[in-house]
Amino acid sequence: MSDITFGQYYPSDSVLHRLDPRFKIIITLILVVSMFLCNSVVSMAFAAICTFIFIFLSKVPFLTYLKNTKPIIPVILLTFILNLIYVPGEHVLFNVWKFSVTTEAIQTAVFIAIRIILLVIVTSFLTYTTTPTALTGAIEDLLKWLKVFKVDVHTMSMMMSIALRFIPTLIDEINKIINAQKARGAEFDSGNVIKKLKAMVPILIPLFISSFRRAYELANAMECRCYNGGKGRTKMKTMHASLKDYFALLIAIAVIAGCIAFNYIKIGGLY
Amino acid sequence: MSFIEFSDVTFRYPDSKKDTIKNLSLKIEQGELISVIGHNGSGKSTLAKLINGLLTPTQGAVTVNGITTAQEEKRIDLLQQVGMIFQNPDNQIVASIVEEDVAFGPENLGVPPEEIRKRVDEALKTVGMYDYRLKAPHNLSGGQKQRVAIAGILAMQPKCIVMDESTAMLDPIGRKEVMDAVKKLNEQFGITIIYITHFMNEAVEAHRVILLDHGEIKKDGSPKEVFSDYEQMINYGLDVPQSYELVKKLGIDACILEEDECVALLMQHLGVHGKA
Repeated sequence: MSDITFGQYYPSDSVLHRLDPRFKIIITLILVVSMFLCNSVVSMAFAAICTFIFIFLSKVPFLTYLKNTKPIIPVILLTFILNLIYVPGEHVLFNVWKFSVTTEAIQTAVFIAIRIILLVIVTSFLTYTTTPTALTGAIEDLLKWLKVFKVDVHTMSMMMSIALRFIPTLIDEINKIINAQKARGAEFDSGNVIKKLKAMVPILIPLFISSFRRAYELANAMECRCYNGGKGRTKMKTMHASLKDYFALLIAIAVIAGCIAFNYIKIGGLY
Repeated sequence: MSFIEFSDVTFRYPDSKKDTIKNLSLKIEQGELISVIGHNGSGKSTLAKLINGLLTPTQGAVTVNGITTAQEEKRIDLLQQVGMIFQNPDNQIVASIVEEDVAFGPENLGVPPEEIRKRVDEALKTVGMYDYRLKAPHNLSGGQKQRVAIAGILAMQPKCIVMDESTAMLDPIGRKEVMDAVKKLNEQFGITIIYITHFMNEAVEAHRVILLDHGEIKKDGSPKEVFSDYEQMINYGLDVPQSYELVKKLGIDACILEEDECVALLMQHLGVHGKA
């Protein structure tokens, strides 16, 4: 369980690490939208190439990105198979039992699989190159306008960053509790689904109790460090939009424009 | 007027039937290194929380540098002057990156960004954690986490740091790291340290030891003065430093608290001459 990398910062000193986090969020959103927009071979290839360039620029090892796609392999396989047998088409290649597999189906299935993988990579690119604090700070800044509607944006972003901070701590704690319960003779690996779910109760209850205790202590510690809500608070790392941020945004816009434009280029019988 | 003054303080938790702190009066001067000892439930932690106003006295008053802790409007000022380190290092680290956590205090105080950067770097260098500034706290050892927590307090430029059993969850190496960091702060910056501990070997490193029992100060003086009565210490449910225990068990009547002293004494008794 300790190899959960999603939402973890990968320290490095790349161009992407130095970008303004607010811009990075917007750029990521643009890239996600472009992934959904491309539906021709050329535009999908274009999106993939752009994604690989981003990976290269982030100086985060490619394997680290792949690790993130591992947990969603079942999802990819499932959608792939479903698309393969359910998408209707004219060019029937072969028949399996009641289902017929068409060239269109193969294409759609492959497209969606690639799209999911690219989406995961693009979103993890954001979390790898941005510290959770910077990320929540950026979200706070981007959602500033919500204050008009009396939404406490600062508290929300503080809650988010604390939640992210405590994920590894709580995972450690779960492992400790599991070991402690195993030492008392609890079984987690045997029995049917219902039995396994029931076995989770002695893990969750101690976890909840200790989380409340942690929360109380953390609140005390935060108070001792003069935390008083967002009022009059400054930031060590201020966010400055510079030329390179606008340039990066321009590139993202170019990518989305490219994805749309390349949709109109068709190669052979493929759409 | 002393830096910290308890005048006839009584404290009782709302749902409790007896006083946790009873008619306690205490004066602490700026720059002192004090350890507070006492068995579980003697009121050590309550005493700590009374100093920075996390708890306010039921009767009597606590003043720190002229601020009465019950003054609601001076609260932030008080918290800035009196930093506090807790027992569990995991539960006092707020941010996911070491340097961002150290910046949390000064950020709350509204210090300008460049000044925060300077303070954070200095604080991390002081506790010897500068090389870890970009690491995630959950990958650090207990002693390192506590030093990060100390840096976080140091960056607020406090006059006093209260350590509430901050070494209880650490291994011997971690305890030494923390103790060394704390002594350095006391010597270099003249920060008053109130060190609550149940490790007697740590307690004797302070200039002054306060022994609490059932919410009352039973002894207050230099380590030698406090530990001199071996039987009494045992009666209060406390240990004595290992060297002292060893010397006592050997039937030598001397109050030996430090390891070096103990070695010298034993060599003298054995008639061995030379360097320890």
